[in-house]
Amino acid sequence: MTVTSYTERPGHKIDEADGLSVPWSRPSPKRKGVSARAVSAVTILVVLALWALSARLQLVSPVFLPSPAAVWNKFITVARDGFVDATLLQHAVASLWRIFAALVAAILIGVPVGLAIGISTIGRGIFDPLLEFLRPIPPLAYLPLVIIWFGIGEPSKILVIAIAMLAPVALSTASGVRGVSQERINAARSLGATQRQVVRHVILPSALPSILTGLRIALGAGWSTLVAAELVAATRGLGFMIQSAAQFLVTDVVVMGILVIAAIAFVLEFTIRRIERVLVPWAGRE
Amino acid sequence: MPHLVLDPHLVLDKVSIHYDGQAEPAVERVSIDVAKGDFVVLVGRSGCGKTSLLNVAAGLVAPARGTASIDGKPITAPGSDRAVVFQNDALFPWLTARENVAFALRLRGVRPAERAQRADELLALVKLTDAGDKRIWELSGGMRQRVGLARALAAEPEFLLLDEPLGALDALTRERMQTTLLDLWTASEVGVLMVTHGIEEALVLATRIVVLAPGPGRVVRTFEPGFSRRYASGEAIRTIKADPIFSEARADLTDAIFEGEAA
Repeated sequence: MTVTSYTERPGHKIDEADGLSVPWSRPSPKRKGVSARAVSAVTILVVLALWALSARLQLVSPVFLPSPAAVWNKFITVARDGFVDATLLQHAVASLWRIFAALVAAILIGVPVGLAIGISTIGRGIFDPLLEFLRPIPPLAYLPLVIIWFGIGEPSKILVIAIAMLAPVALSTASGVRGVSQERINAARSLGATQRQVVRHVILPSALPSILTGLRIALGAGWSTLVAAELVAATRGLGFMIQSAAQFLVTDVVVMGILVIAAIAFVLEFTIRRIERVLVPWAGRE
Repeated sequence: MPHLVLDPHLVLDKVSIHYDGQAEPAVERVSIDVAKGDFVVLVGRSGCGKTSLLNVAAGLVAPARGTASIDGKPITAPGSDRAVVFQNDALFPWLTARENVAFALRLRGVRPAERAQRADELLALVKLTDAGDKRIWELSGGMRQRVGLARALAAEPEFLLLDEPLGALDALTRERMQTTLLDLWTASEVGVLMVTHGIEEALVLATRIVVLAPGPGRVVRTFEPGFSRRYASGEAIRTIKADPIFSEARADLTDAIFEGEAA
């Protein structure tokens, strides 16, 4: 191999130590074998074991803490024979229907409101104070008013959940819209896009990852509101089932209901994450 | 027929730019005329307002005084007769490379099959024949800029406005992209207005170089290097760069850019 050099300076040699073996820049050896998921699995098993143990040793009365086996058996019986005039599936379907109806309403209202806040000063002026007023109020506080206005039927229950979902959907949409890069918008306009086309073809897709995050937060808010919504004149629903059971101190049904809600919420969360991966695969990769 | 009517011109006439909250104007009385087939490059130290001037031509910034016009019509908003390519590609990551290129056609309601075909032709023109189905994040920086150029050309603009399009690329990719730019310019016969920091790049590409000085931004020198015409008539880019007159031009241009700067 021949080396062409333009400067012969024999006195100057690159110090071998330069840039070599700097101790703090050396990559640390990767820790092997421990994943967060494995730790989570162990944690869950330990909690279950402690629960089973305290029930077995009768540290707490079964009225307060039924054993895991009792809860599991209750799950089977309620699934087959039902509790307060409906099977577990019917309760779950009733609750899920309310959650999804509320979610659709929250999307239909929240996404346009979020767009208005993010795009126009007037929109922000109108909707920001309203949302900031609505957001911190606990559902139990506005539930009575909703019942006075809309009665005790199904619409009231859905409305209460939808109100709780509205702020996270709208605010996430707005923050997504505000985060759209100006260069992208300018590029689209210089390619001939009208204002409407910029919203449809640039702003909405850019904000989609943020909107989906908003839906995840909204679902969480929805579940926490569900029990409140089913306080009044419900005949079915997981929240209603838990409350009825609590009134008769049927603690195993209460615990079972809590676990079923947790399981459904987990599945929904997982589903939305899958949807995110399909719908917005570019998120975090730009 | 007078010559001016046949040839579309992008004209900035005694343009001053004044940003809100700043005492000094960013640009004062700058006039630039880009004819179709011209390759005009704006160079100058930071703060000389070259990007501001490009934004006026794009219709993104309104001049405080003076006028910007295209074919005699005043520029008031962005338009597809002046497609812009930015330094950060500003591509749409939810679309494939092909869909990005076809974006302008989609806005105009061109049928899907037709716009896919046109997009593939443009991708071939920027030497990205097989990248049509790729997602944006699967492309390298140079490939992204090629997609950005093809996307701008799809709008069938009369003028291309390039805002440091090669600024974020590594040196070797830059060299290659310079010839791509020249090839596109000769093939499409558009007029180009480009902003760059690269002195050699300006010399290789431009038919005219406008040197701006800051405080406030104004034109201090104009060069007509002519190397891009030599490339267009078949001379290799390396031969051109090796020509002693090229080194001379580089020295002159560097002097002009740093003239008047406190040492």
